[in-house]
Amino acid sequence: MIKKFSNIFRNGVYIDQYLFISITLLSITGLIFLYSASQGNIETIIKQSFFVFFGLILMFAVSQPDPDFYKNNALLFLLISIFLVLLTLLTGKEINGAKRWLNLGFFTLQTSEIIKITLPVFLAAYLFDKPLPISLKNTFLTLLLIFFIVNLIRIQPDLGTSLVILIAGLYILFLAGLSWRFIGISFGLFILSLPYIWNNLLEPFQKQRILTLLDPNADPYGSGWNITQSKIAIGSGGLQGKGYQQGSQAHLDFLPEAETDFIFSVIAEEFGFFGVCVLLLVFCFILFRCLYLALNARDRFCRLTIGGLSLLFLSTIFINLAMVVGIIPVVGMPLPFISKGGSSLLSFYIAFGIIISMATHKKLMRR
Amino acid sequence: MIDLHERVSERKNFFNRLLLIYIFFTFLFGFIVFRTYTLQVSSFSDYEIAALKNKTREMLVQPKRGIIYDRHGEIIVNNAPSYNLIIQPSFEINLDLLFEDMGSYISFSNDEIKYAYDNFSKKASLNRELVLKQELTKEEIARFEVRSHRYENVFIAERFSRENLYPKLFAHSIGYIGSLNNEDLETILVEQSLQPKETIFNYSNGYIEGKTGIEKIYDKSLRGVFGKRIYEVDATGKLLNLVEEISPIKGKDLKTSLDLESQKTAFLEMKERRGAVVAVELATGAIVTYLSSPSFSVNKIANGLSQEEFKKLISDKDKPFFDRAVQGRYSPASTIKPAIGLFGIEKGIIDWDYTINDPGFFVLPEDNRVYRGWKKGGHGNINLNDAIIESSNTFFFSLAYESDIDDLTEHLAKFGFGRNVCNDCFLPDSGLLPNPRWKMNTHNFGWFKGDTVNLGVGQGYLSATPIQLAYYSALLANKGSINKLSFVQDYSDPIKDIIKTNNINVTDWNNIHQSMIGVIDHPKGTAGRLRSLKDYTIAAKSGTVELVSTETKEDYKVIRENEGNRDHAIIIAFGPMPNPKYAVSVVIENGESGGSVAGPVAIAVMNTLVKND
Repeated sequence: MIKKFSNIFRNGVYIDQYLFISITLLSITGLIFLYSASQGNIETIIKQSFFVFFGLILMFAVSQPDPDFYKNNALLFLLISIFLVLLTLLTGKEINGAKRWLNLGFFTLQTSEIIKITLPVFLAAYLFDKPLPISLKNTFLTLLLIFFIVNLIRIQPDLGTSLVILIAGLYILFLAGLSWRFIGISFGLFILSLPYIWNNLLEPFQKQRILTLLDPNADPYGSGWNITQSKIAIGSGGLQGKGYQQGSQAHLDFLPEAETDFIFSVIAEEFGFFGVCVLLLVFCFILFRCLYLALNARDRFCRLTIGGLSLLFLSTIFINLAMVVGIIPVVGMPLPFISKGGSSLLSFYIAFGIIISMATHKKLMRR
Repeated sequence: MIDLHERVSERKNFFNRLLLIYIFFTFLFGFIVFRTYTLQVSSFSDYEIAALKNKTREMLVQPKRGIIYDRHGEIIVNNAPSYNLIIQPSFEINLDLLFEDMGSYISFSNDEIKYAYDNFSKKASLNRELVLKQELTKEEIARFEVRSHRYENVFIAERFSRENLYPKLFAHSIGYIGSLNNEDLETILVEQSLQPKETIFNYSNGYIEGKTGIEKIYDKSLRGVFGKRIYEVDATGKLLNLVEEISPIKGKDLKTSLDLESQKTAFLEMKERRGAVVAVELATGAIVTYLSSPSFSVNKIANGLSQEEFKKLISDKDKPFFDRAVQGRYSPASTIKPAIGLFGIEKGIIDWDYTINDPGFFVLPEDNRVYRGWKKGGHGNINLNDAIIESSNTFFFSLAYESDIDDLTEHLAKFGFGRNVCNDCFLPDSGLLPNPRWKMNTHNFGWFKGDTVNLGVGQGYLSATPIQLAYYSALLANKGSINKLSFVQDYSDPIKDIIKTNNINVTDWNNIHQSMIGVIDHPKGTAGRLRSLKDYTIAAKSGTVELVSTETKEDYKVIRENEGNRDHAIIIAFGPMPNPKYAVSVVIENGESGGSVAGPVAIAVMNTLVKND
């Protein structure tokens, strides 16, 4: 019976057990963390559990089609997601002055989370057969597309996600073989254009966040409040932490956004430095598994996609952690698989589904 | 499509680049781990404290002030309970219904109702109490108690107000309390090594401190030590539960030397006339009676005075706020004469047998200026004893004329003139003991012999406060030694003033006592009218302070039409003789006669003191 079942697996099912198990574990641990961070809010946990359950199924489902399916339909997926983003701008639900959500009745979808996946996949599909180094024409076309989409997200405004999309796009371009000369020149231009970006492209509240980072104590009860309270939560956790559900910073409401952006602070407060290390090791395991899979992928398209999506995951974690410990300004950025929130959670299940698909399907020629 | 060779190089290129990014991020994550380590391990204690500070709130608990007693243990100042109606807005309470229901038996003012509505949600969110009404009457309390089962989270709680049981008797001596200013509060909190300012009050009028009198002087021991309550709070400041409690330490009770009965007597006898009464116990220097008249009610001051009432008090021409007992400056007039006589003995200018003829005036040899006595035709041949009994001016004019002014002022300073004689009086004035240097500095005029002559009868520049006169009287009674005056006796270290003399012996002191007994008991004594007011012996010296200098009785009749021109009446006394226990001084402004106006007050106070011993 068991043998029979595993045979089905070998022949008809595509799964990477390392990623599947570690992500499942991480998701369940995330639920446990969230239970504490939400102060035992059952409704939140049920909702999140539904997302986790549905997300794991989605991940499994997404990993079944052959990579060619994604390669061939990449443009279609991108166009659909651009349409959704535009629709959000026109008819989206406005929360706290930001139009990021599309109301689907049973679920409010954060459309930028979709395009976060479809753009790298499209870029990989577009660039995988281009000769090396990438020609200037292709480079500019790619950059144009990236900046167009990034700008669409930025005007929602959603600085965090637009930043991640920008980075993800640039990863693909870089991994696909962008010339070093071009990188050098554009990096110089970027440094030169910083004042322009500061003066014209950033919203006042975004500037305030950057200034706050430089000196959070200047305004501890204003915009510095989040960082200050987050640092107190993390710092007061010590080596061993205060114990599950014992974090005063989270449980007495000092820590803002404890369920979403600052959930890491809750973990650090309740489980201490040891807990933080264990969590980071799990993330590292997933990332290095992705590295291994990328290096052994069947073709260039798969390599680029796995590389791009895993770096997207990596960057999201980094931005969240760096923000929470006060290295970079506060931008809305969830901790993957742990923070509350459906859209971002589902987007990462999809991303890992695609990664598994890319990694487990062998070359058609060999079949 | 790309060829195979290219594919291999592409793959290698891809490996290198992906690896490069991973290595880059390894460093970044290393930094995050380092940063977390710094927060959680290196600076752990800082953040632990910060988190603790975040989640706890210290609140002060106001201590109760010490009670003030008189010398027989009668309470003078107490903490009177007042009952407040309080609700807990964090529980579900419908204010509309509550006011509608309770309004039928407790009357709420519009201010009280407005305050409740304005503060309800704020107090609710912070889990604090809301006082609906202060100082409920007994009837209101009773009416509430029978209905209290109808209300949840509505209760009556005790708060205190500082209450002087005899608000007019002790207005200047005990003084009053008022609200504590921020600087003083800070100082007090630093002294008690406390920081937060949010306080759970025991007094209805919040932070209080002594403002005048004993309440001020002994504020530090009366006020007690703040207690502390530490609550766990959430980010909005809502109190969650009590973590730790340190009870406040009540202020020390204060036993004063003030005597309630004699104070009552003084108050009744003064009849709100302008003036002062001070009596001291000779054995200890304790102030037993201390009245500045007219007085005011300290309770009204302490618990809030309407603007109108305050204006009325301030603009009252009798100046009730003015503490005449330690700040009123009066010429000692004839009461100075015993001290001048003793000076003559000390310096050997006169002895008890030395006699002069008093024609009723003294002519200053330098400029033939005439200094008159009070009796036309004079007192005839008199010695020091007669001069004190009959209050001859001429005798003391000529004695002063023979005196050196510096020696004389030095002598008078020993009797308390020109200096503070009280240990714990509030803002005492030193009066004025003039000397040539002082006159040159302030009036830019040299000292005349006539100034010394005037000093001989206690007129001119010399001025003293009633408490200085009481001290002087006590020194005479005690034959040259007395503890510095005080309301509270610290027997561990009393400051004793002893007059050092070369030629004054016990006989001289006894003779002075005899002369002063004669002031009342001798047929020629100036205060003979007091004889019938007592049944024991009292030594005294009366004085009449001339405010306007007149040549004849007719002239005085003219100027006395204006009450403010009338002479001040003044008397010092001690008794019962021959072993006196109390000394007293009385000043009545514009009272005209020391003997017959100030005298009866002094005798009445003395009677009460002697009777109650």
